[in-house]
Amino acid sequence: MRGSGKYLPIVPVLAAYALLLLYGLAAPGKWQLVAQLAFYCALGQAFNLFMGMTGYVDFGYVAFLGVGTYGMAVTISSLSDGGLGLGIILIGFLAAAVFSTILAMAVGAVALRLRGAYFAIATIGVNEGFRYLIEGARIWNGADGIIFSRHLKTALGRKMAMTVSTFWADIFVFGVAVLAAVLTLYYLRNKVGYALLALREDEDAAKVMGIDVTRYKIIAFITSAALAGLLGASGWALKLTYVYPPDVFEIHYTVEAIIIVLLGGAGTLMGPIAGGLIYGVSKYFLAITLPGFQLLIFAPIIIAIIVIFPEGLVGILKGKVHGTSLEKFVI
Amino acid sequence: MFFEQLSGNLVQGLILGSVYGMATMGLSLIFGVLQVVNVGHGAFIMVGAFTALILFQSLGVPPILAIPVALLIGMCLGMIFYYGAVKPLVSPSGAGIRKVGRRQLGKAAGVFVAVMIAMRILSGVLDLNIAFSIFIAIILMYAFLVYVYGGRRQEKGPELATLLVTFSLGVILEEVVKQIFTSEARGYNWDLGKLDLGFTVLPFTKILASGGSLTVAVLLYLWFNKTRAGMAMRSVVEDSVGARVCGVNVDWQYALSFSLGIGLTVTSGVLLTMFIPVGINPYMGGGYTLKAFVIAVLGGLASPYGAFFGGVVFGLLENGSYTLLAALPGGEPFALTRFFSFVMLLVILLIRPTGLLRRKG
Repeated sequence: MRGSGKYLPIVPVLAAYALLLLYGLAAPGKWQLVAQLAFYCALGQAFNLFMGMTGYVDFGYVAFLGVGTYGMAVTISSLSDGGLGLGIILIGFLAAAVFSTILAMAVGAVALRLRGAYFAIATIGVNEGFRYLIEGARIWNGADGIIFSRHLKTALGRKMAMTVSTFWADIFVFGVAVLAAVLTLYYLRNKVGYALLALREDEDAAKVMGIDVTRYKIIAFITSAALAGLLGASGWALKLTYVYPPDVFEIHYTVEAIIIVLLGGAGTLMGPIAGGLIYGVSKYFLAITLPGFQLLIFAPIIIAIIVIFPEGLVGILKGKVHGTSLEKFVI
Repeated sequence: MFFEQLSGNLVQGLILGSVYGMATMGLSLIFGVLQVVNVGHGAFIMVGAFTALILFQSLGVPPILAIPVALLIGMCLGMIFYYGAVKPLVSPSGAGIRKVGRRQLGKAAGVFVAVMIAMRILSGVLDLNIAFSIFIAIILMYAFLVYVYGGRRQEKGPELATLLVTFSLGVILEEVVKQIFTSEARGYNWDLGKLDLGFTVLPFTKILASGGSLTVAVLLYLWFNKTRAGMAMRSVVEDSVGARVCGVNVDWQYALSFSLGIGLTVTSGVLLTMFIPVGINPYMGGGYTLKAFVIAVLGGLASPYGAFFGGVVFGLLENGSYTLLAALPGGEPFALTRFFSFVMLLVILLIRPTGLLRRKG
């Protein structure tokens, strides 16, 4: 696609996030729900950047959120006396991105050489493996985790620390979601996206055509991992002010990411938003009316979507608007 | 002292390893025939463990006699799951679903509403939870769509699809078991006495479990090599198009090997309960899934016997490394062995994806 309309699909995305944020600000009682929805959208966007574009399933994805959370936690708990003020949060985000990028490079060096099923097998243990490394070698306090609410208060002052964990953490989640969406669209509209599309459809053919598939896989994998790290640092570390290994390496969050991406449509820009909103809202109401039953209901829905509607919600929508003036807004 | 401990742990590892091997044969069989990785593997082991527990606690059946029951349950589950969810993605003769439009969806919604009403009426008698009713209604609606409109589109689903489907099947099993038995950890105590070897003590139940898994492995070997049915299945592994040309019903072989693979996995769950005195719970399978992948990759992923030997090797390595890691100061040996098995998986995948125990080519 040429010309000025290339990046138009970002408009509905930004509009959706702006509306969600405005709703949260206007209805204070619903702020927790809005924050949760933003988290799901961001999780979906970040996960989709790799899984949706390449068709490779990373079952250990939550490990990147986990090390990102640790990045923020370690920074705040060790630098709180340095008098850095709000700069400490910036350093925390940097550390989160660096930690998850390093882990992604380590995992990717092995896993990205492998195809299809072997890739999934290589990644399925990443979260558990890393959790047991932290617990077993007693890195970063081992199984006891890090509680740093006290450090955050020393670094920022009592009032500011409260505002950061109750308000700004959620705003940062929105930021990560928007960043992930912008990067997704940029990739989709540039060489990376076209190469990954070719790879997803037929990896051998793409290789024969001279596409350096490994390079583009690494780009998508690391971007997706770094975004996950930022999400962990904002949505978990800053919000909860503690980190505890079994919580942040729980495979359950990978499952949620998969559900969100598939509901909305893998490889699309708007899919994760649609999926995240639907999943988040239905989970919220299921948790109120029928606590503990969410997975029982969502698991058969995943199977039904894969077998009956493999293209997801936005995929169907794309088919519907094809040939109309709305076409250039939907991707 | 150290060597006594090490040799004791290695004997224990050998015994446990043979059961690990059997627990992985089903995974390798399914991958060998269908090229499907059963990501929900651990959940089926959990079903076997619960089968043994329930039979022992409520009927007093010794776990070794629960094996045929578990095999039967597993094969039934396998058949249901194959025809319900896996066949539409992998069947060699017409995978996929015919285009589902508004009218079909309308009918499906009708099924959903009808089932919900029926379940609500039934709930007065049986005291059913509304979430369970929704679950059943979704399943039946899905079954309706697959049964009526299934098997027309001639294209195979991508690998991603089968991974996600088997994963979800595992989640469904875990959640259903959790609803019935709650998520608390259980266990049972079956005591037959102990065998004292001097440097280590082996309970007879563990020896029995190891013998049981060896017997199953030998029976499977004989079945594959000496019977027509077994050879038909092997022919599909070798060359599915060629097998079809020679008159093998490949579709049926897919169904049979999926169900046999699940049956073996559930059976291994029964044997594994003899090694875990407490700790039978709906989510116990996760750790076994990872171990099974390491073992399957050790043995070459597509070969059930390779998997059996891979299991023995893994059992020895796991227990041996535990002894060595416990000698290191300042670590948690239990957590470190689990990290070690993950590293082992990556290393094997990196240097020898075809398996350590397999000849090249």
